[in-house]
Amino acid sequence: MNRSALLGILLAGMLAGCGANVTLPAPTIPAPLIDQIPMSVGLRMPANFQAYIHEEKVYGKQEWSINLGRSNAALFEQLLQFMFAGVTMVGVSDDPQLMPIDALIEPSIDAFEFSTPEQSNTDAFAVWIRYRIKVYDREGKLVSNWPVSAYGKSQTTTLGSSEALQRAAVLAMRDAAALMIMKFDTVTRISSLATPPGSGTPAIQQPRNDASDDDVQATAIEGSSDETS
Amino acid sequence: MKLVNQFLKTPVIILFALSSTACITSTVQDTRTGVTGIGAHESVVIMAKSYHLGNETERKYIRCIEDNLARGRSGLNVIPHDEFIDSLFPWFEPRTAPAETKNLAKLMERPGVAQRIAEQGVRYIVWLDGDTERVAGGGSLSCAAGPGGGGCFGFAWWQNDADYDASIWDLDGLESAGTVSADVSGTSFMPAIVIPLPFIARTQSKACKSLADQLHAFIVQDETA
Repeated sequence: MNRSALLGILLAGMLAGCGANVTLPAPTIPAPLIDQIPMSVGLRMPANFQAYIHEEKVYGKQEWSINLGRSNAALFEQLLQFMFAGVTMVGVSDDPQLMPIDALIEPSIDAFEFSTPEQSNTDAFAVWIRYRIKVYDREGKLVSNWPVSAYGKSQTTTLGSSEALQRAAVLAMRDAAALMIMKFDTVTRISSLATPPGSGTPAIQQPRNDASDDDVQATAIEGSSDETS
Repeated sequence: MKLVNQFLKTPVIILFALSSTACITSTVQDTRTGVTGIGAHESVVIMAKSYHLGNETERKYIRCIEDNLARGRSGLNVIPHDEFIDSLFPWFEPRTAPAETKNLAKLMERPGVAQRIAEQGVRYIVWLDGDTERVAGGGSLSCAAGPGGGGCFGFAWWQNDADYDASIWDLDGLESAGTVSADVSGTSFMPAIVIPLPFIARTQSKACKSLADQLHAFIVQDETA
């Protein structure tokens, strides 16, 4: 191997040390011990929710690129299928009015943050994700606008940095899932949107253009952390 | 050739002997609030208190306690904590796990929870709280290398404290059976004259072994331990 090749490898190694790319695998959540809500919902996810990339330069340190990929979409698909008796995927261009659903759920990401062990002066990576869950009724009216804050933390002692950050992100997603299982119906009152038995096939219309999301007050804030108390 | 081998082996043996002789002090205590005992088909789960509450118990410490409790002929049936948490999702997540025994009754009323716990034969849940921290350190040690070789010179030391508390919950009566705590302090040294000589205090390992032994004795109610 000649000198220029060696120099190239060394330079590539140095550049690789300046940044970190983390790609999150789709998480698998276990089947929860809950009673399903007997209703049919639609799940509509914006394009950036299905391919979310967070990029951040930690001051004076590494540059991070965290590719959440389809992990959020996979989380919500699994979670809603566990929580509701029926779930229909609604594409951005689909007309939900033509679908047999009682309500439409539209999740998005408000914020993604993380801290490294150097920043927190601990051995752990921590991840915060703030989701926003919008629930529309059959008429397309926004009935709930719920911010869900989730937190995950993982130590670096036995894992590499990337794996520890991945684990912290997956734990944050599980945390969000746990909170939604506990509080979804209490906060959004989605079960009240179920079609009464014998009243025909549920159907919903497109969200109304005349009622912007900003006009609707958040129906609830994040619930308390200990539902069992 | 034999002479060369002997020449190389001797410092390795000396280093190994020295490295296992750092200074460690430990205190293990328990407080009993109920009668314990465990049947052949009953099992134990080791859990960490929630990081939502600021707890920093290391995963490798939990695994160490699990391994030590399950080891040997008198080892207990231990359900791996990840498996237990998944089987009861979402009721033992950091956000949702019961913080006090008074929350257990309500938890058991949730759909499928009591049945899933009974299927696994879980009699005790042990909640760990605490961590291992470096609390002090000092000295100076520097190393250098050149074309003719390298070496280190100086002296460094550090002190690690491992403080862990274990709360034992008895799921038979849905009440606390008591607590066990282990406080271990270890000071490590590393003098270096060309070659660094590590005298490492295995503080966390000692805290794991001490706490696991005491937990075992507590659960099987061995008064001689």
